[in-house]
Amino acid sequence: MTVEEGARYVAAVYAVIMAVLVAYYIISSRRVSALQRDVQLLEEETRRRQAQATEAGAE
Amino acid sequence: MKKLVSAPALFVGAGVLLVIGALLAFWYAPIDASSMGFSQKIFYYHAPIAAAAIAAFGVAFVAAIVYLRTQDLLWDRLGYVSVRIGLLFSILVMITGMIWGKAAWGVWWAWEPRLTTFLLACFLYAAYWVLRSVVDEEQRRATYAAVFAVVAFVDVPITFFATRFLPEGLHPVVVGPGGGGMEGSVALSFAVCLVGMLLLMAALIRRDVEIELIKDRVTDLKTSLGG
Repeated sequence: MTVEEGARYVAAVYAVIMAVLVAYYIISSRRVSALQRDVQLLEEETRRRQAQATEAGAE
Repeated sequence: MKKLVSAPALFVGAGVLLVIGALLAFWYAPIDASSMGFSQKIFYYHAPIAAAAIAAFGVAFVAAIVYLRTQDLLWDRLGYVSVRIGLLFSILVMITGMIWGKAAWGVWWAWEPRLTTFLLACFLYAAYWVLRSVVDEEQRRATYAAVFAVVAFVDVPITFFATRFLPEGLHPVVVGPGGGGMEGSVALSFAVCLVGMLLLMAALIRRDVEIELIKDRVTDLKTSLGG
């Protein structure tokens, strides 16, 4: 294997590994955003039901 | 957790160091004079990835002990995530190690002490996942997993010291007396790659712990809403 061939080979493996790790991080980050949206919706629903229950109690 | 450094900050720090490390490894560090030649540069990411895998298993070990003392599920989540990230890095260690083995020894795999004990660690931590999936009750699952993580970690120092105690193996000693004595440019390139990879590991663990905590919050809210 020549130096040029070796360089291409080693750099390609390095690029693949970094791509895997960066992709994992990006997928995780998108998952965080999606889950935070779920939490927000569920908290809004909880507040809405609590407000309804308070109103019903007042009546 | 919020008081710790954020995942994006760790990720950016890791990215900067890994780019600098790659530049140093490929252009600053000398090409190996042995028969490996340029292929030896796999070392600059194979060894840091291995160190990151071992560090992740170390975090799982500490988290398991703290969980067993406090019964706080936050530590169970940290242990679970650390094992997952440790296994991800372990797969990459195996792949890069096999490429190294082919270039250095002419074989993809050899049943020598370092490789065999590392493979055993991978199987043990894969079993940790299986164990978690078969226990339903949360506290019991966390306790069993913590005990298993403590036991599994016994193999990690054996893997680390295998090359020192069993010198007949093929795997070289990377850092330590009697082997792996690195000259300045090699040591600098290696150190930058190592710190970068450890920061990346920390960023991935930090992010995944965040996911687990938000998932717990979603489950709590769904339960309080009645489904």
